[in-house]
Parts: sequence; C-alpha cells; structure tokens
Amino acid sequence: MAATNTAATPVPAPAAPAPAVQVPRGQVDLVDFIDWTGVECLNQDSSHNIVNALKQLYRDDEGLYLASDSDEQLLIYIPFIQVVKLHSALIKGPEDEGPKTVKLFSNKEHMGFSNVNDYPPSDSLDLSPDHLAENKPTTLKYVKFQNVRSLTIFIEDNQSGSDVTKIHKIALYGST
Amino acid sequence: MICIDNSEWMRNGDYSPSRFQAQADAVNLICGAKTQSNPENTVGVMTMAGKGVRVLVTPTSDLGKILACMHGLEVGAEANLAAAIQVAQLALKHRQNKRQQQRIIAFVGSPVKYDKKVLETIGKKLKKNNVALDIVDFGESDDEKPEKLEALVSAVNSSDSSHIVHVAPGENALSDVLLSTPIFTGEEGGSGFAASAAAAAATGATGFDFGVDPNVDPELALALRLSMEEERARPEAIAKKAAEDSSTENKDHASSSNTDAVMTEAEPSSNAAADDKKEQPKEDDDLLQQALAMSMEPASGSAAVADAAMADASAVDPDLALALQMSVQDANMSSESDMSKVFEDRSFVTSILNSLPGVDPNDPSVKDLLASLHGQGEQEKKEDKSDKPEDEKK
Repeated sequence: MAATNTAATPVPAPAAPAPAVQVPRGQVDLVDFIDWTGVECLNQDSSHNIVNALKQLYRDDEGLYLASDSDEQLLIYIPFIQVVKLHSALIKGPEDEGPKTVKLFSNKEHMGFSNVNDYPPSDSLDLSPDHLAENKPTTLKYVKFQNVRSLTIFIEDNQSGSDVTKIHKIALYGST
Repeated sequence: MICIDNSEWMRNGDYSPSRFQAQADAVNLICGAKTQSNPENTVGVMTMAGKGVRVLVTPTSDLGKILACMHGLEVGAEANLAAAIQVAQLALKHRQNKRQQQRIIAFVGSPVKYDKKVLETIGKKLKKNNVALDIVDFGESDDEKPEKLEALVSAVNSSDSSHIVHVAPGENALSDVLLSTPIFTGEEGGSGFAASAAAAAATGATGFDFGVDPNVDPELALALRLSMEEERARPEAIAKKAAEDSSTENKDHASSSNTDAVMTEAEPSSNAAADDKKEQPKEDDDLLQQALAMSMEPASGSAAVADAAMADASAVDPDLALALQMSVQDANMSSESDMSKVFEDRSFVTSILNSLPGVDPNDPSVKDLLASLHGQGEQEKKEDKSDKPEDEKK
C-alpha cells in the first residue's frame, strides 16, 4: 500500500462515472491562461468547433466534440495571455476518428496548411487509441516549451483515415 | 481581393457601354463600399486575363490607389479562374493585418472551362483556409456555367459567408443590380454608403426628410431638422399658454396675457414661460390694488368713469392702465408729485420692479420693503385725512 502517487508520473484514475484526470505534480491546467479572443481553428466544422474541445465544461461533455470539415486535418492556434511552460498535453477522442499524428509548434503565429510542413515541429506526438481513451497526459519535450506565447497544434491525420477527425478534449498542463 | 475578368469576352456590348466598362464601374462601387463601411477594411485588385494573372494592387485601404490601378487596363486573352483564385489566396495570406477575414470577389464573365470536380476541390481548399468567396456571374452564359459556379460557391460556403449573383444582360447596369445583393450589403447588415447609393439610384434622393441626404450634407440636414422642430414647438407652446390662461377667471387678462405670451415667446428668453406665470398673478394683484386704492380715495365720478375706461385699457396694455390710474390719482389727490405717493401705489411699484431684471417682486425682502413703503404712504394718507376733516372743521 505504498503511496501510489509518486512525484512526476501521473496516475491513471480508476474508471468512475466521471473519470478524473490526475494533474501532473507541480503543474496546473493551462486552460485559465488561454487568450480566448485569439483562439483560431482552421478547417473546423462550424457546428463542432474548437470551443467544445478546449473550454472547461464543454470539453468534459462527451456529446460535444471538435470535428474537421473539408478533410481530416486541423490546425489549431492557441495564444496565451502570458508566457507559460508547457509540460504535458492530454488529447481525447473516439478510437476510430481520433487524431493520430499531432504536431505541436511553439510561438509560430498564423500558420496555414500550406506552410505547416515547412517548419520542424517543436514536438510531435503519435497517438494510439489507448492514448485517446485513457486520462493520462502525454509528457512533452519540456525543454522545447520553456517560454510559450502561443501554441499551434497541427492534426495531420486520424486513426482510421476517415475524412472527419473528431476530438473530445484537449487539455494542456504546465506552469507559468 | 477582387478578381477582374479582362478577357476578350469583355468587349461585348450587351451590358452598356461594354461588359468591361460595366464591370469596372461595379468594381469601383464595391471598393468604395468596402473601404467606407469599415476603416480597417483593405481591398486588393488583380486581373485574371490580359497579360496574365497578376495583382494590380495589394490589399490596401487607400481608395485612390485602387481606383487609379483600374486605368489603362487592356482587354484580351483568356481568363484563368483556378490560377487566379490561387494567387488571390496567396495575396490574402500575406495580408498585413492577420485578424482580417479573407474574402475573394470574382467577376466571371467568360465561359468556365473547368470541371465541376476541379472547381469543388478549389472550393474545399478555400474553405479549409477560411476564405470566403463571392462570385458575380455575368457575360457569357452557357448551360453549365451557372451550375458549375453554384457548385464552387457551395463548396466554399460555410455558414452563409459566400454568395453568388447571376446578372443577366439588360437594361439595368451591373452596378445597380449588385447594390442590392449580399455582396454589397455584406455581413454587417449594410453600409451607409451602399444604402444611400441604392436610395439615390432608386428614388432620386427623395427618400430622405427635407430632400437632403444626411450622408452628403449632414450639417444642412441637421439645421433643417432643428428649424422644423422649433416651428412645431412654437404653436404648441402658444396653445399651451392659451389653455392655462383660459383656466384663470379674469377674462380681461386672457387676451392681454395672450398677447404678452406671444411677445415673450418671440423673444428667445428661457424665462419666458416663467415670466408669464409670474405676470398673471401680478396682474391680478395690480387690478386688485387699483380697486383698493381707488376705493380708499375720495370717490369721484371721474374715478368711476376712469375705472371703466381703465378696465378697457388694461385689456390692451397694463402699463397704460397704470399710467391712466396715475393720472386719475393726480386729479384726486393734491400731493401727487410726492414720490412717496408713487411708491404708495403698490401696483405701479410692482410693474416697475417687473421691468427691472433680477428683481423678483414675490421675494419676501422686496415685499417687506414694499409693505414698509406702503405703510408710510398709509400714515401720510391718514394724516391727510385727519388734516382735511380738521380743515373742514375749521
């Protein structure tokens, strides 16, 4: 019965009606630091938009999700109201239509789909269906995200290769 | 970003004076409307044909620059819609203010040689990059062109931000037809420029009050409106005064106060109404005082006659009435030259005080003063009366 909560590694919560995410020790949920006036999402379906995945309450509702429109790619731009350090990210989605390759860019303003592959990403995540289901945030390359003013998330494809990518929740953890 | 079709098909004259000229007019109008509706709007212009797909002016808010670039455009070659849209997209991507919404307005006058599929892909790409597209379909029309363009717009369209307008050749100029479309009125629900231009075109500027367009000459319109309101207010105020006057019992005063009211109304004094109200009770007072004074004096027939005469006179001019009363008193009393007698006449004093600015006869201090003066006069009168009987006794 040793303490299951060790310092750095987050512990997956037991399957409960409302599964709680164990926030990594020393990190906070950065949702409070998001500058909502500047949040943009390219190629989102207007009825299933970015707010559903990012905002408190919206993101925990399983019925609300972010969906892509013309094709499966999504480009999400999140500015912060102050400089933050990004530690880990949690992305939840359905097993088949959830995102697979996710590229993160720090401090790149107003990227478009055409130039998104011109820059090397600050970090790149390859998500598996397990990642999408569980509540465990994926740790990022902390050194690359030391003074993040804005974050661009590029979702290149999804698990099943369908035309529509769906995301239930995007949560960012870090410190200021 | 406006894409102009300057291909050979634009030489045709089915839109007067020529397709190209009608197009140019429409472009000028749109540029004006956009730059006026929001000072942060920027507009750019490019050609789809002629020397090739090239940008004439990058998005700017300088209307003069935009209009100048339309000069000396040549008509020729074929329009390349796909390439033009791509170049427009690029021009928009490199705009200075990244917060601006991206929009392409394309004038498609020549036949469209692309497949529906290709156009739909183009549309999807525009939608993916959050670019809205407006299409003006005019000029050449074959069976498939409207369909293809409709497919393109529906592929781009997200939440009704993109539109298509089909303009058939005919009487109406291209610009006039466009004025009423969502391309002009935009998402903000219409700009003043577009609305007034539409009104002017349609009704000849008769839609406005006073026949002056507030947009064209706001000061004149405002001046006209103010004078109208003043005119309207004046008879209303007079009517109000008449209503108040008729409520007082003294009919004699009604007409005099009416004339008084009209005279004071004509003066631009803000105290006019207040003054009127004050004068009415004072005039009541005046006549009452006159009556009292006269009854106190030794009665004489002339006084009674003068009374009747003065009642008439008072209808015309209260000052005149007082003057008459004064002269009557002169006839009756010996020491009328005495100034104290003048002050004794309370009504006269009040009328003098009325004419003095800043003195309010209803002010208690003034009233006290009057009372003391009157008391003095009273004493003197009593002395006179006591003198007279003594005289008589003698």
